Amino acid sequence: MVGNEVLAAELQSFMRPFSLSLMFPAWLLGAAHGFELEVRPILDRSCLKCHGGEKVKGKVDFSRIKTDADADSQFELWETVAEMITEGEMPPEDEPQLSEAEKKTILDWYQGRLAAPVEARPGTFQPRRLSGPEYRNTLHSLFGFELNVAVAEAQQTAAGERSLVMKLLPPDPPGASGFINDTHGARLSSVIWDQYSHLSDAALEQLFSRKGREQLGTLTAASLSETWTTADFTRAQAEILIRNFVPRAFRRLVPEAQLSKIVSALEGKNGRALVEATKFELKAVLMSPAFFYRGLLMGGVPGKQQSVDAFELAERLSYFLWEDRPDDELMSLAVKGTLSDPQVVEGQVERMLQAPGARSLAESFGVQWLGLASLDQMVKEPIRNHALTSQPVDFLNYLFTEERPVMEIIDSKITFVNQGTSGFYGQDRQRMKRYASTKGIERQTTLNQRLTLEHAQWRGGILTMPGVLSMNRGPIQRGTWMLRRILGVKLGEPPADVPAIKPSPRGKNLSFRERFAMHRADASCARCHEKIDPLGFSLGAYDASGRFTAVSTGRKGSPPIDTSGQLPTGENFKDFAELKAILLTSQRETIVRNFVERTLSYALCRKLLRRDQPTVNEITKNICEGEGTWRSLFCQVANSLPFRETIIGKEREE
Amino acid sequence: MSKNWNIGRRTFLRGAAGALVPLPFLNLMEAGAESKNLAGEAKPPLRFVTLFKPNGVHPPSWNINGGSENDFRMSPLMAPFAKHKDDLLILDNMGDFGFSSHSNSTRRFLSGHHSNRKSASVDQLIADKICGSTAHRSLELTTEGLFTNQIDCSYISYDHKGNRIPRESDPQLMFDRLFRSPMRDPKQRQKISSLLDKVTADAKTLQRKAGREDRETLEEYFTVVRETEQRLQNMAPLAGSPQVDFSSLVRPEGSANLNEQVNAMLDIIAMALWTDSTRCITYMLGNSNSRMIFDFLGIKKQHHYLSHFFRNFSRSNIDSLLKISLWHMEKFDYLLTKLKSYKDHNGSLLDHSVVLFGSGMGHSDNHTAQRIPIVLAGKGGGMLKTGRYLRYSKNQELSRLHLTLLQKFEVEAESFANSSTPLPGLDGGAFEEYRERPFESWVKVGNGKITVQGRLRMSDNLDEAKVFYIDVKDKQSVRIEVGFGDFHSFNLAYHVGTPITLTGNSNERSGRLILTKVTELKSVFGKSKPGKANG
Repeated sequence: MVGNEVLAAELQSFMRPFSLSLMFPAWLLGAAHGFELEVRPILDRSCLKCHGGEKVKGKVDFSRIKTDADADSQFELWETVAEMITEGEMPPEDEPQLSEAEKKTILDWYQGRLAAPVEARPGTFQPRRLSGPEYRNTLHSLFGFELNVAVAEAQQTAAGERSLVMKLLPPDPPGASGFINDTHGARLSSVIWDQYSHLSDAALEQLFSRKGREQLGTLTAASLSETWTTADFTRAQAEILIRNFVPRAFRRLVPEAQLSKIVSALEGKNGRALVEATKFELKAVLMSPAFFYRGLLMGGVPGKQQSVDAFELAERLSYFLWEDRPDDELMSLAVKGTLSDPQVVEGQVERMLQAPGARSLAESFGVQWLGLASLDQMVKEPIRNHALTSQPVDFLNYLFTEERPVMEIIDSKITFVNQGTSGFYGQDRQRMKRYASTKGIERQTTLNQRLTLEHAQWRGGILTMPGVLSMNRGPIQRGTWMLRRILGVKLGEPPADVPAIKPSPRGKNLSFRERFAMHRADASCARCHEKIDPLGFSLGAYDASGRFTAVSTGRKGSPPIDTSGQLPTGENFKDFAELKAILLTSQRETIVRNFVERTLSYALCRKLLRRDQPTVNEITKNICEGEGTWRSLFCQVANSLPFRETIIGKEREE
Repeated sequence: MSKNWNIGRRTFLRGAAGALVPLPFLNLMEAGAESKNLAGEAKPPLRFVTLFKPNGVHPPSWNINGGSENDFRMSPLMAPFAKHKDDLLILDNMGDFGFSSHSNSTRRFLSGHHSNRKSASVDQLIADKICGSTAHRSLELTTEGLFTNQIDCSYISYDHKGNRIPRESDPQLMFDRLFRSPMRDPKQRQKISSLLDKVTADAKTLQRKAGREDRETLEEYFTVVRETEQRLQNMAPLAGSPQVDFSSLVRPEGSANLNEQVNAMLDIIAMALWTDSTRCITYMLGNSNSRMIFDFLGIKKQHHYLSHFFRNFSRSNIDSLLKISLWHMEKFDYLLTKLKSYKDHNGSLLDHSVVLFGSGMGHSDNHTAQRIPIVLAGKGGGMLKTGRYLRYSKNQELSRLHLTLLQKFEVEAESFANSSTPLPGLDGGAFEEYRERPFESWVKVGNGKITVQGRLRMSDNLDEAKVFYIDVKDKQSVRIEVGFGDFHSFNLAYHVGTPITLTGNSNERSGRLILTKVTELKSVFGKSKPGKANG
């Protein structure tokens, strides 16, 4: 310890004559060689003991970052560093602390670099575990059948989870990106292992059962007759099965040596013993890390920025658009090597959006982005819940797959309505086809019908769908939701000791809005609430269940509902219709940028980094300038640099 | 006597959950359990169970006020588990300074401090120590799905890297994992074992080619494979040791509501501990911030909304909140009763367990982190001296309690989160007790008027949540039964637990003095008119 302190003191006195803050103004430090001259000495003094050289705690090694170029190439590291320093988490409590001036130097440098333009670079390659839905779909398309919960049990569960995979696997928490396909924080556990094992057994069992006869026939390229039993299973069939199954499971070509090794393990076995041995080999494939992690088999040069290999690209495309493994067409393009052509990728995106798998964009990406799952907590009754949830999902599916402009999410003449939601659509519901009722069934979930709005104009777009409105009750929740999910504004957590909204003073009958204005008088509250409140109160004409009431009729005895407001950017509106017009025009770029960021983040399965900004900027610009359809957004993401390229981490020097 | 305990007598208890668990299974064990447990160990194993209550408490009905270590009156909310008084160690003045968000309070509950994000929670550290060769190192259970907006509200258990540990909520799946594991079947065991060998060998060839990030992923994979191998070993029948025939255990039926679901899970928890399938379990009765609707109690409003009982004040809201809180207390009682019903060596299962019950925050409306409800139950094989109420003179951080628990469970730890000195008093040792300023209590009556001074408390019967009492020394306590106007404008709930002087109109019913209308309220030591926001 003492030695270190002496060394540090020496370093400090050595540095003093050269102290650069005297020579360079602060603004220059950000842009110039701020890192080498100002930041590195501090790191060397205070951080290197644990983060570099002999010890490398938390994988952070400052000794490898020598130049400004090194520093710029690792920008996500500095995000963490800035956070740690701001939060006071580093250096640890029992170590010598940074002085205020030192902290400021580092943070100023960071801010300076943050503002400076950055070069687009892909992220570091990270394998990751399949999310629950990805695992479910992959297993499904691999075997050709879905594993379902026994019907009797499904009826018992109110939520009605039919998929055995989803029932057995613990739910994935959303990662730093907010999406559950970002599984970097959701580690494999022995619980998950056991469920994978159980699910693999169940699938293999079914494949060799009567129920799986057709799929087994497909996978073995044989027509298995009615009288076929497992005793008739031949080694030739087993070999075809393995050669069909293994590359599909690993989502890439598998070396012949590996395949023939598996096949040779079956030698000398016949009939039922052969079936058991085949199941064992296939289970080993399904329990292999190369199956349930993505990316473990990708090749490449460590430490270098490069294109991902063709199979990885195929896999990225299919998990992005389908939450599923690549189909045979994508695989064959990968084998041919033509996927490197952006035109080919574009063609594939178009094809894939037409396939049923593309519904996952609405069901996973859309639902998670817009937080639609919170409806499950608000509306427990299954039929109502289905009506309110399926409406925005069908709407998103329509926008995503039918070449609709991105901004139609805010306003559209098309909506999707069933018996549970038709009551919200006034005269328009009269144009709906009648639902045939099943005899003896009093209430059931019904499919949505596409409806063109002629009368209920106030319902256009997702913001005024009854499910979205009733999911967020009250102006504050509604405003916060719109701000975060649609406009992409990051709000901090509200402070823990927020006082209650004060009641009306005696003798005055103030509306909630007026009482809230009193609350907003506090500057620390106003910081967020001047953004939240105008958005939230604009929806005041829609009640808690999402019903539209004429603006002039407030509650009995209270003044009419005031839905007018002003955005912090200055635009005034008198009601939600006018706000919507503002969103579609002057807020358009902000909103499009948010759509681009969310889509890219979902596609990459990770939080966006600073180095992704150029990509976001470019796509935002293209979408804003053109027709800007969802399809074009998906194509541009699929052809973007972070999607197509990667940096493979260097081998740790042992 | 047969080495195998074959549960022949199929007398089943149909629990409220409709879960069929053979009750006599419990006491059949006595004969065989003189000194060895299922694992053949001489001493009974220690267990650690955590039961988390969401959304803090309503302090007027939860707090114990007055009384001393060995002479105290349990609060109205504690009524459902008051019968276990001798097995309880009720801690008071636990917490932190200031206020707490739901996420932070949830993280604090077992991690000591919300900023302690890089270490395991206390249950995991204890699990490592006590798991022995049980089939399952620990179980992390819950009742509710994930709250994706405030993700930390959904977890109390964290692994050694500070990562959230996935929780399980389905009693049927839990039952299958514990009592229907293929790992117990000799034929399956053989297969599983060869599979583990094969995948390990295959994955090792990958490892040779892997870069840094891949290698970390593989590390994670190999860790789980090793754990599975270990479990496989632990599930092997030990030569000469008695075997429990799990096939006689009946899988619970699907639950129709939360009450059934929780009862079924508590049944399974007790069974898992008793069969020594695991020794460490955490169970969340709800996510912090829980918006559950207790429709089976006839309540239509969400728990979190009701828990803000001051800002969302109404009589019926308070009634609903107290009903929900009582339900939580009943579940704690259910667990303790279950654990006591199982004979374990020369005592009950509870005698060899420590059950930690509590919440992450105190006052559920203003989110204070002080006076967090914490109750320990069970003697933990003698490590705790129960039957007492410890009200510390000063606020004690939860991490001090955690550190003490670690040390009592013989985990090597010099500090935990923010604390490096353990919390005194749990084993009966000295601690600095809270001293109240003395005050006089008296009552004067005349001319239909009454003035009474003493400690205000809520009625023990929470069905009459609007009724209060003032205790008067050597006299029957005075009942306060006033209309809503007085209740609200004098803010009686705020003064609960403190001495006040109350003047008003009096009445008498079967010999008891009743104050029916308040004309003046004076706090003996504090503010008589609190700010509205302080609840």
